[in-house]
This record gives sequence, structure tokens and C-alpha cells, in this order.
Amino acid sequence: MDVSRQAAVLGVGQTQHASRRADVSIAGLVREAVDRALLDAGLEHRDIDAVVVGKAPDMLEGVMQPEQFLAGALGAHLKPLIRVHTAGSVGASTALAAVTHVRSGLFERVLAVAFEKQSEGNAMWALSPNLPFMQPIVAGAGGYFAPYVRAYIARTKCPPHIGPMTAVNARENGGRNEYAHLREPMTLDDVMNSPVLWDPIRYGETCPSSDGACALVIGSEDVARRTPHKPAWIRSGASYAEAMWAPGRDQVSPRAGKMCAKAVYDGAGIKNPWKEIDTAEIYVPFAWFEAMWLENLGFCDVGEGWKAIDRGEQKMGAHLPINPSGGVLCTNPIGASGMLRLGEAALQVMGRAGAHQVDGAKTALGHAYGGGSQYFAMWVVSDER
Amino acid sequence: MASLRNVAVVGFAQAPIVARDAHRIATEMLYGQVRAALDQCGVERDAIDFQAAGSADYLDGRPFGFVAALDVMGSWPAKPDLHLEMDASFAAYYAWLRIQAGDSDTALVCGYGKTSEGEPDRVLNLQLDPYYQAAIGLDPTSTAALQASAWMARSGATDRQLAALAARRRAAGARNADAQLREPTTADELAKTPWAVEPLRQGYLPPVGESAVCLILAAEGKAEKMCDRPAWIRGVDQRIELQTLGGRDLSRSAGAKLATERALAMAGLARAADVDVVELCATTPAEELILCEAMGLDAAGSRPAINPSGGPLVGNPVMMAGLIRLGEAFRQLAGRADGHGVAGARRAIAHGAQGHCLQQNVVWVLGDERRWT
Repeated sequence: MDVSRQAAVLGVGQTQHASRRADVSIAGLVREAVDRALLDAGLEHRDIDAVVVGKAPDMLEGVMQPEQFLAGALGAHLKPLIRVHTAGSVGASTALAAVTHVRSGLFERVLAVAFEKQSEGNAMWALSPNLPFMQPIVAGAGGYFAPYVRAYIARTKCPPHIGPMTAVNARENGGRNEYAHLREPMTLDDVMNSPVLWDPIRYGETCPSSDGACALVIGSEDVARRTPHKPAWIRSGASYAEAMWAPGRDQVSPRAGKMCAKAVYDGAGIKNPWKEIDTAEIYVPFAWFEAMWLENLGFCDVGEGWKAIDRGEQKMGAHLPINPSGGVLCTNPIGASGMLRLGEAALQVMGRAGAHQVDGAKTALGHAYGGGSQYFAMWVVSDER
Repeated sequence: MASLRNVAVVGFAQAPIVARDAHRIATEMLYGQVRAALDQCGVERDAIDFQAAGSADYLDGRPFGFVAALDVMGSWPAKPDLHLEMDASFAAYYAWLRIQAGDSDTALVCGYGKTSEGEPDRVLNLQLDPYYQAAIGLDPTSTAALQASAWMARSGATDRQLAALAARRRAAGARNADAQLREPTTADELAKTPWAVEPLRQGYLPPVGESAVCLILAAEGKAEKMCDRPAWIRGVDQRIELQTLGGRDLSRSAGAKLATERALAMAGLARAADVDVVELCATTPAEELILCEAMGLDAAGSRPAINPSGGPLVGNPVMMAGLIRLGEAFRQLAGRADGHGVAGARRAIAHGAQGHCLQQNVVWVLGDERRWT
């Protein structure tokens, strides 16, 4: 058994993201991303050996297991297909599940697709379940995460301008990404003066609700050597999840995130991520999480994440450009958001990120998280094997 | 076929299927199965490299229902994990792929969900495409009836034959301690029950049932230490088809046929009929007959024994009925099927399915010997 079987990203496709893509059905939205990914990889549906579909809760569109009705639009008829759901991390874990297909040795070219059409329903209330024996105090994901942001601020003495700074930078980056949902620039004052939705998270520090999809074609080493564009080699990938109610679980810097990052760095032979990774696409649905994840991912020591942002190290052209695409703060089709992070990381090392290309990016991290900060999925991609 | 890793089912635990477990939530039902499966293998949770689960939010009636299962699956500290919004037989398929990729040697596979929390016919209507099929109120019983009609029209099968098959499964269920329907009955009695949706009678369909299951996979080298008689996976394949009911021949299962051919080829077997036991994830007698035709099995023959557990007709917990088939095949090969054991069983086929009218199928070929050397 060859356990070192390689896989690579052959093609990346994404839709135009918007708050409401009224011009397409769910199938039409998904197909827009799939067609672009296949075109990018120089392949057709018949070349695909298996399909992996991911999205966040089915309640967001009101269709149970929608991949079943999408099988035709996905070109999956009489092919193997699996449907992944790992909360917000799902787009990333879907891509990683496609990598597993290839690394099993049984598949040469696998299509990974993730989407959300949030305009079909109301995501905030779909994410606010009224559960037996639990107080219904959470209003949307922001309501869940705000206490952990407050805990981070209290622990690290993070000053109040860090969230707004992060949001402003994200919009500046998103302005260069032709697919992004929110591309209008914002000033620090714009963000500071926007209403507080969930203390301390302001409206301007919050991700949008988007309609959008992303698709990746993952191929074997053999196929990757014959692909039209330079592929992005997947150096390593991992997905970890941790229990909800374990005593001592820290949701500010979760152990699952640290374990997943360690597994990915070890797999890629990375000893110092701050020095060895050129750019990172990390899942930041609320601006403060950028500082939090910089620490959880081992880029910065505890309490140093916000200082790196304060110094501007995350900006384009600086030491570690974070979310050159604008990230989740500019575009959030929930189920697709994780795959967009992994796909954007791939585009960077392929050198095809367009106006938001990081000069000379050779090694990039793609990251997503979900649930109560308990699902993590990441990969490191590189321009070389 | 390139050489693959020999992987076996080494443990399986299932909560007896009941109409409603009024006193336990889904994760409480699952915990005992995880514990029992680990105990069967004589290991603790840290011996398991990877975990996969299958469940559906809509059965729970809330988003992220699967998150709570992380706790009872032993995800502390964090574990490599994947949750599939599918019948758990597909989670087992993915876990098998993970082991083939070389990342893991052992995997825990769970299926859970409380069907009784809602009205499954209304919930499963939402699986259909929202534009043309769901909107007209089709539910799994009515789509199964369309399929049964198509089968009867093409094959000439009669109401009486469906009744006879259902009665045989009920007789088998009486010998399976985990079955929900354990009272044998006659074809005459079943043929007198009212239509659920014509041509399917209420007596031919499983009642609403719920359970929780945990299955453990292990690669060669570890499997032998975790189980005295591992059930080696010799071949597996899965296929989805178009959902559109008017877009495929409902009287046939092209997906089950193709998956069977591929799984048999991987296993190095010429015919499905060469195995001793078959467990089919058929929720109506017509589905079972369609599957038998697709797989090349004699539905009326004595060998291979088909659904000695009684199959889903005597207990159909949604999102795990497919994984139970794999578990039942393991029980047969490992000599753990007790009252419904098939004497001398050395090879088995397990089939899982999900979606309306057998839209997606997975087929496993298992044996008491390793496939690859």
C-alpha cells in the first residue's frame, strides 16, 4: 500500500456571490461553479469518477439532502457520490473528502462541490434552534460566538480597534476579488459607527448572508502532471472535531484547532508556519476571529495575534497576507465558505488569483471551522510536490 | 484491480429497533452502542484512528443535530472526523476509503437519529426536488407505490406474491432480537390489510422505527486482534442515480446493478448468487424483488439466504437501516447472528440504500478470508 499517494487541485470554480441570486435555481447556482471548475481543469463531466457534495444545514434552503435532486445537475448519474455536513467547516471537509477519494487509489479525478443559497430561507433563524432542555438564548451564529470574542478580548487585552481594522482590510481585499459579494470599501469610522449586533460584534464586523457555490477538481499525481494549468499540490490536509460538552474545553482557542493545525503542518513538513507559509485563507465570519485564529493556528503566540494585526502584518504585501480574497467577511455562502478558503489558497500557489494574487506565493494554508468552534478542516497547498 | 488493503468489520452493536424510545434522546441511544462495540473489540476509544457518522438534520428537526453525537463518540480530545448527511452505510464506505488512503487503520462508524420525533412521510417529502416533485405532496410511501406499480406491470408480480414475501420476512424477524416486528404472521393476514398506497398494503411496509448503531472497521494487522472472526471486505461500490421519478425506469435499479457488478469484480466473484447470505436494504417487498433482479439473485431460492434478519420490512430506522445490513452480514460471518444465523455462512453481500425509489445504493461483498495477499 502506497500511503504517500499524492493529490492535487486541477481546477477551481466559483460563482458570482450575491445576497440573492434570483437568476438561478439551486441547481443553476451549483452548476455555475461546477462548469467553471471543469473548464479550468480542461475536463468534462464524463471524466469525473466520483462526486463529493457539501453544504451546511439543509434547513437553510428547506430541502432535505438536496444533493439527491442535484445528482443530475452535478453529472453524478450512476457515479459514486457522498454528501458531507460538518457545520461551517463543511466546504473544507468536503474538499478533503475528495482528496481521500483520490488518495485511496480508486479514483483519478474527483469533483468536490459546496454551496449555499441562503436567500431561499432565513439563515439566522435556521441557526437558532429551540432545543429541549436548553434556553433559547442564541440569535444566529453571532449570538453564539460573541461571548468567546469577549473572552479573547479579556484574556489578551485586545484593544477595541482590532475588529474594525480587520473588517476594513477584508473589504479592501474583497474589492480586488471579482467574485466577492461585498466589495465596497469601508473606513474604520464606518465600522466603529455601525450598530453593535452582539456585543462586541458590530454590524460592520459581520459576514454577509450570500448565495454562492464553489467547486474543485481534485486529481491524482498522474493526472496532475498532464493538466493544462499548473496544479496546486496538496501537501497535507486534516479534519478534526471535538466534543461539545467536554469539561475544560476552550472555545477561544480550541484544542481541536491546534491538533488539526499540527497534523497539517507535520504532514507538510512545516516547522514554523509564520516563516514557511506565504499566505493564508482562514475562516473569519466575525472580524475578531482573525486575531484568535492567528494564535490558534500557531502563527502567533497567545496574546500576540491582535498585535500582528495591529502592525498590519496581515495586509497585502506584508509578511503574511490573510484572506487576500476578502474572505468570509466579504462572501459567506455558508456551506461553500470553507471550500472557497481552500480553493483561494490553491489559486494563490497556482499563481492565478488575479487582482488579489500574493506575489510569489508558493505555500498557502486554507482553513475552516464550524459548530461551536469544534470542527476544523485545513490543507496546505504548494506550487511543488 | 490494484491491490487494496484488507479491511474487516470487527464489531457491531445495535439498539433494538423500537417505534419510539420515549426516555432517551438520540445520543443516549447511541452511547451504549459505541461502548458495546468497543467492548466487543476489547479496546478503548484511543485505539480508533478515525470516526465517521451518518444522520440527517431533518429527522432531528434542527440544524447540527450530529454535533451532539461527537460527545458520545468519544471525541475528546479531538478526533479525525467526518459526518455525512446520509445513511450511515455511506459513512462506512467513506471510512473504508480513509483506511485505503493509509491515513487510518481503524474507524468507528455511527448511525443515529430519532425517526419518531417527526412525521417521516412529511419529512422525507422534502428530499424531493422542491420545484416539481416535493410540491405535489409525494411522500416515500407514494413514491414506493409508483415503483411497486412499475415492477408489477413489467414482471407480472401479484399482490399475493408481495404478501408472501412480506410474510417470509416477518417470520425471519421473529428470530431476530433487534427487529421491531417480531410477531410472525401469514400472507393471508397481510393481504387483508388496507392499502397504504395501492399497490402497497400497510402490512407490507415497516412501521416507523428508531435505533442507534455503531460498527468498527479495522485493517489487517489490527483486525485479527480485535475480533476472532473478522468479516473481511472483499469488494464495495456505490452509485447514485437521477432523482427525477419520470427520468428513470423505476422497475429497475440500474445503480444497484452497477454497484453489484463493480463490487463483485473487486471481490473476484463471478456472481452474487455465489454468496451464502444477502442483506438487502429494501423497505417494500417490490424493492426487494427489484434488487434481486438487479443483483442476479433468486428471490424465491433458499441459497443465498436473503434477509435472514427480516431486513427493513421488520424494522426500518431511517439513516441507519443500510449500516444495519452491513452489521448483519458481519454477525452472520462472525457467528454472532444467534437465532437468525445461517449455518456455514462464509460469504455475504450487504446492501445499503437511501433516497426515494432506491436512488442511491452501496453494495458490500464480505468473506471470512482476506481478499488481497
